[in-house]
Amino acid sequence: MKHSLTVTLKNQSVAVERFLRVVRHRGFDLIHFQLNMDDGQYQVAMTVDSDKPIHLLTTQLNKLVDVRHVTLENLHQQAM
Amino acid sequence: MTGAELTIDLLAKHGVKEVFGYPGGAIMPIYDALYGAPVKHYLTRHEQGAGFAAVGFARSTGKLGVCFATSGPGATNLITALADAMMDSVPLLAITGQVPTAAIGSDAFQEIDVLGMSLSCTKHSYMVERPEDLAEILQEAMHLAQSGRPGPVLVDIPKDIQMAQVPFHPWLAADDYLPQLDLKQVAIANQLLSEAKRPVAYVGGGVQAADAQQQLMQFLDKTQMPAVSTLKALGSVLPEYEYNLGMLGMHGGQAANLAVQECDVLVCIGARFDDRVTGNLSKFAAKAKVIHLDIDAAEVGKRKPAKASLIADLKSSLPQLECFVTEQAWLAHTKAMMTEHAWRYDYPGEKVYAPYLLNQLSQRMPQNGVVCCDVGQHQMWVAQHMKFSHPSNHLSSGGAGTMGFGLPAAIGAQVARPNDFVITVSGDGSIMMNIQELATIRRNNLPVKILILDNQRLGMVRQWQELFFDGRYSETNLSDNPDFVQLAAVFGIPGQTVTHANQVDDAITALVNSTGPYIVHACIDDKENVWPLVPPGAANDEMMTESVK
Repeated sequence: MKHSLTVTLKNQSVAVERFLRVVRHRGFDLIHFQLNMDDGQYQVAMTVDSDKPIHLLTTQLNKLVDVRHVTLENLHQQAM
Repeated sequence: MTGAELTIDLLAKHGVKEVFGYPGGAIMPIYDALYGAPVKHYLTRHEQGAGFAAVGFARSTGKLGVCFATSGPGATNLITALADAMMDSVPLLAITGQVPTAAIGSDAFQEIDVLGMSLSCTKHSYMVERPEDLAEILQEAMHLAQSGRPGPVLVDIPKDIQMAQVPFHPWLAADDYLPQLDLKQVAIANQLLSEAKRPVAYVGGGVQAADAQQQLMQFLDKTQMPAVSTLKALGSVLPEYEYNLGMLGMHGGQAANLAVQECDVLVCIGARFDDRVTGNLSKFAAKAKVIHLDIDAAEVGKRKPAKASLIADLKSSLPQLECFVTEQAWLAHTKAMMTEHAWRYDYPGEKVYAPYLLNQLSQRMPQNGVVCCDVGQHQMWVAQHMKFSHPSNHLSSGGAGTMGFGLPAAIGAQVARPNDFVITVSGDGSIMMNIQELATIRRNNLPVKILILDNQRLGMVRQWQELFFDGRYSETNLSDNPDFVQLAAVFGIPGQTVTHANQVDDAITALVNSTGPYIVHACIDDKENVWPLVPPGAANDEMMTESVK
């Protein structure tokens, strides 16, 4: 199932790398990824695909120190 | 003040009195700042030893463990200890030297992208890019390692930043973000508990991390709920608790596994439904409604759905559970299972029987002693046959399952608790993985005890080869081991070898009464297996036992 998320990250050089590692490791394929620097923070819009429920990704992303916000766009899907 | 001086000063201000490490080129300014500083440095003989000593220090006290290494191979040698600390939620700070800022990215001598390597094995990590950032990063790193769900944090400091003049602004750590209990979920949990006929408490390592043994025991004493423990939780449920069923899972006790399979409400307290605990997940506690208490929201619903989720510090969530007294019929049934499946030590024959030896050691060593383990058969026998009164007295590499953990972890525990009895129980495979740390024991005159259960095999792998690989014993024969007592003697550590059952009691006496380090090398049957065993893919009530074999 595909899910669209927007994520706000601290402007740290390693933040994007750390965040993408979690996406891969937790079993989500990246379908779309757009990164913008806005107001001193990274704004990420991305779409992932997986047969796993999306809360398995969002809860892991929310734990990252560099992640400020995770918003799931299609909330009717399996968000926790 | 230089960056190096600031680093040591901040550690001291944070209350760090002992660190473990190994110097090298890119961290020399920090070692220079250590010279004569109030922070005592323990030189190990390998960076992995320093990492595990810091883990042992942290796990035996609940305090922050700190380790140092230089750039490149020094830092890569720490990685296994960081991964171990990540899997077992251990508060650890690793400080690594890095090549000078101007050389980063040039493939300089001993340059490795340590920050990149750290991403999968730390809770968080930093490379300091500007001298003025150093103080805040170090203070934040110490705070992060110990807050919420603890974990390892790495700070990589280029050599020029260690040598630069840096400003120091005391930084007030932000208040911990602790999730607030959802009272609706508390109400659901208490409703489930009120309806429970066959409840079981499934206790995990979170109890130690939250320092919540007291709250746990208050809950258990009032409810009389039967309790099972993960490997990391052993000691959280006091041994004298009447319905303490011990460890569950792949090598758990039969009563523990059967009770979980039969229960109708499973109260998961700081555990994470690890595959070694659940066996076949779809058949694990299949009749149970789960109440899950954890500070980490990502663990709730990760492997097994919960009917009620109490996402908070256990110290605040446990007292929210109402203490309904467990029904007598379930308690009587649990007690009958405990009696039926009690461990037996009446081993026939003249060989040393490891479970008997460990059970005797457990009874005769000081109650507040620390037992460290390596990984394999001996580790499971320790978990099955020794008793612990606190989880900080049982240091076992749980999530990562790292051979070589035990000896350096014992060094860290002995440094942290110099007046307590500390022993590492190891196998003839594991002990060789960090054997160089015998030199650290000798150098510091640490009275660490060592028990090697020697079956001249990589015993757990050999057991699986026997049971599941048609007896094809590929690369598990270690019958060319060195003489371990002679080996220890070279490091100035006395000891003895035991080969027969009738020597065990005297050897334990010598071990327990020795004032310095001491080694007992116990030769055990190479065909001995760990029972019971939940085979791969099976449910926890489909255990293989010795009689099945």
